[in-house]
Amino acid sequence: MTPEGSILSGEGLHKHYGRTPALDGADFSIHPGEVVAVLGPSGSGKSTLLHCLAGIVRPDSGSVRYDGRELTTLPDAERSALRRRDFGFVFQFGQLVPELTCLENVALPLRLNGAKRKAAEATAREWLARLEVDDVHGKRPGEISGGQGQRVAVARALAGHPRVLFADEPTGALDSLNGERVMTLLADAARDTHAAVVLVTHESRVAAYSDREVTVRDGRVKEPLAGL
Amino acid sequence: MTLLDTRGTGNRAGGPPHRPPGGPAGWLRDLALGARFAVTGGREGWFRTALSAVGVGIGVAVLLLAASAPTLLNAWHGREKARENLGQLHEPRASDRTLRYAQADTSFHGDAVRGRLVRPDGAHPPVPPGLRRLPGPGEMVVSPALRDLLAEPGSGPLRDRLDYKVVGTIGDSGLLGPQELTFVAGMDDRSAGESYRIDRFGKTFDPQPPSARLVLLIVLACVVLLMPVMVFVGTAVRFGSDRREARLAALRLVGADIPTTRRIAAGEAVVGAGLGLAVGLLIFLVGRQAAGAVTLWDVNVFPADVLPAPALAALIAVLVPAVAVGVTLFAQRSVTAEPLGVVREAPVRRRRIVWRLVLPLTGLALLSSLVWEPDPVWFRAVRLGVGSALLLLGITALLPWLVEAVVRRLHGGPVPWQLAVRRLQLSGAAANRAVSGITVAVAGAIALHMVFTTFQAGFAEAYAKSAARPVIELSGSAADAQRTRDALATLRRTPGVTWAHGTIDALAGRAGDRGTRGADGHLSADSATVVVGDCAELRHRAPIGSCRDGDVFVTEPRNGTGRAPGSVRPGARLNLNPPDGYGEAGPARPWTVPDSARRVTAVRHPGEDLPGDVLATPGALSPALLRAPEMKLRVGYDKAQETAAVERIRTAAFHANPGMRELSAIDNPHDRQYAGVRTAVYVGAVVVLLLIGAGLIVSTVEQLRERRRLLSVLNAYGTRRSTMGWSILWQTAIPVVLGLALAVTAGVGLGTVLLTTTETGVRVDWPVVASVTGLGAGVILLVTALSLPPLWRMMRPDGLRTE
Repeated sequence: MTPEGSILSGEGLHKHYGRTPALDGADFSIHPGEVVAVLGPSGSGKSTLLHCLAGIVRPDSGSVRYDGRELTTLPDAERSALRRRDFGFVFQFGQLVPELTCLENVALPLRLNGAKRKAAEATAREWLARLEVDDVHGKRPGEISGGQGQRVAVARALAGHPRVLFADEPTGALDSLNGERVMTLLADAARDTHAAVVLVTHESRVAAYSDREVTVRDGRVKEPLAGL
Repeated sequence: MTLLDTRGTGNRAGGPPHRPPGGPAGWLRDLALGARFAVTGGREGWFRTALSAVGVGIGVAVLLLAASAPTLLNAWHGREKARENLGQLHEPRASDRTLRYAQADTSFHGDAVRGRLVRPDGAHPPVPPGLRRLPGPGEMVVSPALRDLLAEPGSGPLRDRLDYKVVGTIGDSGLLGPQELTFVAGMDDRSAGESYRIDRFGKTFDPQPPSARLVLLIVLACVVLLMPVMVFVGTAVRFGSDRREARLAALRLVGADIPTTRRIAAGEAVVGAGLGLAVGLLIFLVGRQAAGAVTLWDVNVFPADVLPAPALAALIAVLVPAVAVGVTLFAQRSVTAEPLGVVREAPVRRRRIVWRLVLPLTGLALLSSLVWEPDPVWFRAVRLGVGSALLLLGITALLPWLVEAVVRRLHGGPVPWQLAVRRLQLSGAAANRAVSGITVAVAGAIALHMVFTTFQAGFAEAYAKSAARPVIELSGSAADAQRTRDALATLRRTPGVTWAHGTIDALAGRAGDRGTRGADGHLSADSATVVVGDCAELRHRAPIGSCRDGDVFVTEPRNGTGRAPGSVRPGARLNLNPPDGYGEAGPARPWTVPDSARRVTAVRHPGEDLPGDVLATPGALSPALLRAPEMKLRVGYDKAQETAAVERIRTAAFHANPGMRELSAIDNPHDRQYAGVRTAVYVGAVVVLLLIGAGLIVSTVEQLRERRRLLSVLNAYGTRRSTMGWSILWQTAIPVVLGLALAVTAGVGLGTVLLTTTETGVRVDWPVVASVTGLGAGVILLVTALSLPPLWRMMRPDGLRTE
């Protein structure tokens, strides 16, 4: 059953890697504009939950519904198209194409979606400015700091106006100051664009930017008890 | 310091500090550790080592083949020398240990058949290598290839011609190669005039030095063949350098210093090179078994002949591992393994063209100087080899600059194009290295093809011109006029023959002229040609008018006979045994041209012999008086049935006199020679292109593996597989297309210079240019196609998992 008003939901998700269970009947839902932090210890299955919800990985069983459509039965091409059009992603590291400049990196999802280069780069430039990294637009990822790189990645994730932003440990490779700055900019930008954010983290400080927290443990999602 | 040097740290037991071995012992330990890394990296490590070994192995095999060329040619020439005797300066007297020997070469559908006739004078004649005994009259021993040819259904005319009884097979020691067509037959009276007496086998003089053209081709072929292989060896030993660097960084973390990491890297490279030596030896040993099936430039040898010269083989065994280690260390010159990772010290510098032009321009200058300086062959060969090598090496130096200059200017375009261009802008070195091999191979192949095509076409035109008239000229010894008449009669009866004429020709000197001896010891004198024939035959040499047996004519030259008018006049005294040869002059055989001899006007027809100075009928001059009288026959045939008629004429001529020599332009031997070499060059180019294609595939897949996580992220973004596929296509295509453009320019340029040095008209083999560049395009598609499955495998979400 899809929770009322949610844009994305997962129900009874099971996923094994070989004989190792990653998800064991996980349920999840998120509403438009909502920021949900997915917490949990290392190896608990939170990244796998994100991958299943984003249509990157097909669960062994269970249902993922996005905007009224069942994702698990969609062919790969349609899931890819959905990710291009409606989703955005921020990962911990290694996500920027090293050969492209920061501007080209941000414009990449737009261009993959069919936008003309100039239009895509104009939008990208706006987002770089919004994330306060417009001064590095002509540089390559190897020439900028980790914090700047992560802000470029956030700009890239949001440039296509996604309806859902998936962020997997977005500050995991940053120091606390840079982490705070990235999270502030990410959360503000997401709220401005009314994008839902699935925020996977193991840091409660990062989770504090969310509207709601869920915890993944042994492949199951647990909502915190009301009032706690 | 060596690996795990704990100098100054002491040991846990509190005893004196433990010092690991330094100096050579420590170095050896580092090298051994590197060697262990080469084989203990699991499946991946083995794959890398195996790849290096295959690359080095192919290089070693080619080098061993090249090193076998001198031995191979020596063995080939040695067997020819051992089995032949072209005549002794002082012909021995007949004895129990002598034999009469004659040549009886023929050809069958363009294949040369070497024939020798023998007739022992006694019971113990010398026997040529490969034979147990000399065949008797009516018998012959044949080479295995001739035996097979004779057994073929279409060889009827040849069986008719060589109507001897086959009594044995010639052994390998009597053959130049397994495909040689040769026979030794017992001599009968038909060949007695052609024969000479010998008392041993074995030539006493050395063959002529190779022609400038041949030297040019051999040197250039070696340069063209070896350079791409060297480039490939360079590429092969760099496979997996990223992982090697990561491992060295880890070693630095546990205390290894920089020289130690270099030694460990060298040790790792030595294993690949050592295995490569073994693989190369194996490829060489297996490959040489096919030597018997290959005929290149009429040279066909036995597998055992393909044996590298020991000194060169030792050099290869030492140099190849050294080069492999050198290349590995050279590749690391700008890389320092630090404990937390690898630091690339070389700043990104724009490549400059100035010094890159030095190599090709020097090569071009060396080659151009060959045009106007007539030097000795060896000096030309050195300049040719160095010039060609510098020009081709220069291409490899120019290519990175060209790729960088072009790629730097590229921008915009669709996403795949942008990804590819940016990738090349950031690090195009690996692609450049691999493509430089393609460039050298294609440039070399185009240049060689240009040279071969031009030579081949030149011969083809000349032969076509000569063969326009359906005529075969035959010559052989003629003891008397009747044999010539008989030969003509036999030929006229042969189906397909339209006409046949012939005379007996010989040289005569001035009476009293003892001749002059040249610097080489050869005795010669001014001579005139005496032609003996029936009136009907003489009419084909000059318009003699009325004639009957006993008449003599002297010719007065007209248009371009090349002789001063009136050199032989009626009443002139001639010597029919003029001094000629290396020995002493024989006794004079005087003969006076009758005063009654009539003067006739000689007209030389294009393509025909000189008409002769004295034309005599047999009644006036007996051929028996002449020195080395030779029947000269001209036979016309029906062009419509050329193939069959020509073989029948050859058979008729062989039966008239097995020693009859043919002079015709029907079979163009050069066509086959050049076609064979062109095919070999083409096959070589294809193999090199495939080799380099394999290198490109491996380096592309390596790049993909290094970018596994990025590919997974791009997949998460919904990037289409086709987008990444096209990006790989462009990434391969851009340098290859630029490399091919450079190769075509350099190849045509090199070919033009080479042809100019040999004073031959320049002719570009455009179909070959098109096909070789097409092959290059095929390599691009192949590399892309084979890179797609790993690409798609790596675009799976697995790369996003960190736990």
